[in-house]
Amino acid sequence: MIVDTVQEQTQNLVQELRRGVIVIAVLSQLHEEQYGYSLMKKLEEQGLQVDQGTLYPLLRRLEEQTLLKSDWRVETTRPRRYYALSDFGEKVLKEVTVEWSRIKQTVDQLLSKTKENKNEMD
Amino acid sequence: MKWIDLYLEEVRHHLPSQNREDIVREIRSTLLDMVEDHNPNPGQPPSEELVKDVLKDFGSPRKIAREYGSHQYLIGPRMYPVYIQVLKIVLIIVLAMNVLGLLITVVNPPNLAGGILITVLELVGGLFTSMFTAFGIVTLSFALIEKSAPESWHAEFQQSWSPEDLPKTTQQEHVKVPGLAVEITLAFVFIALLNFFFDRIGIYYLGETGWVSAPILNDQFRRYIPWLTAAAVTDIGLNLYLIRQGIWDRLATAGRVLINLFKIGILSAIILGPAVITISPVAWQALDLTLDFGPDELSRTLNTLLNVLLGLTMFGLVVDTIKRIASIFFRGDKAQTTIIN
Repeated sequence: MIVDTVQEQTQNLVQELRRGVIVIAVLSQLHEEQYGYSLMKKLEEQGLQVDQGTLYPLLRRLEEQTLLKSDWRVETTRPRRYYALSDFGEKVLKEVTVEWSRIKQTVDQLLSKTKENKNEMD
Repeated sequence: MKWIDLYLEEVRHHLPSQNREDIVREIRSTLLDMVEDHNPNPGQPPSEELVKDVLKDFGSPRKIAREYGSHQYLIGPRMYPVYIQVLKIVLIIVLAMNVLGLLITVVNPPNLAGGILITVLELVGGLFTSMFTAFGIVTLSFALIEKSAPESWHAEFQQSWSPEDLPKTTQQEHVKVPGLAVEITLAFVFIALLNFFFDRIGIYYLGETGWVSAPILNDQFRRYIPWLTAAAVTDIGLNLYLIRQGIWDRLATAGRVLINLFKIGILSAIILGPAVITISPVAWQALDLTLDFGPDELSRTLNTLLNVLLGLTMFGLVVDTIKRIASIFFRGDKAQTTIIN
């Protein structure tokens, strides 16, 4: 019972964490243009599974925020919408990456300190 | 690809109108990519099962549409708490009025063929009808407010907030939005009643042929309609301002004092002026009452009652005015202290 609760809670928290990092993950992969499905596969290959229902609306929102640009292109079989970082998006991603490194460093420090304290108490 | 077409039609149905076709086009392209990717026999048409599996994996049309922002609220999160409170107040008022009507009928039963039981049952049925009607009107009003609210309302609700938005002092009196919403609604009803249904203001009595009404306000009263309407309009204006500000600031307090004085002036004129209630002989006959006194005596009694009622209202207004004037000076000092601290 307790295990179930811990698992469920862990899952919820991990989901929230993923939701938080998904934007930066998506932006990081769009230096080169990608269509939705290829982007999803690319993220998946690198270990980040993103639900289609989340990814496509997110791409639209990022485009509305002018972080991305997109255009329809007819390729071999069907038209596809290609997304890529806009100039503005490139600049924002650069700033966000710096901030991400800071956050990661801080959280790593916090977690290692917590671990040290716990070991001392034991 | 029948299943994909059916799926997309369903998604289209739930999508917001903006960019609908473009979104559908993109989803189609993605679904075809997914089907192609999962097809174990590339180059061959995919099986129906495979297409269905892909669609199932993609998610329900409603869920997908929701992700694209098709949150079509009837009453959104900003208005919902106020809506619930106003609904409670209105339903309690409707319930109280119906119970009162029921009590009057039980105490003074009409001489109907079906007897008191049938009448009471009819009134109970009427209670449910009026409760549902009230529920419908309140819901519809809030849905209209939700639809007509400027985009900035929602934006403000979702993001921008600054500590600067906080009241400048803890001494300020916060407004009670549900109460103000009810006041605004009642003011609109009052304006409509005076200006469009003047003849319907009267005595209602359950006679042998059903409900009978007789107008009681005479032409003397018509003189006051523009003034009473103006008072109600300024009341609405002040209440809207209060909802927007969230607190009783000095401007609102000064406005309330002026409106109260204006109302006191109108009420004084009605009380001191000629009688405004007249029961005409025709109305008296229509009412078909078996009473010991005539229409003139009833008119006099009703005028006296009205004057007492207006006098009490005036007293309430005077008290409120004094309270408001006092609050300007009292709160003014406290406010200074709080800011300095």
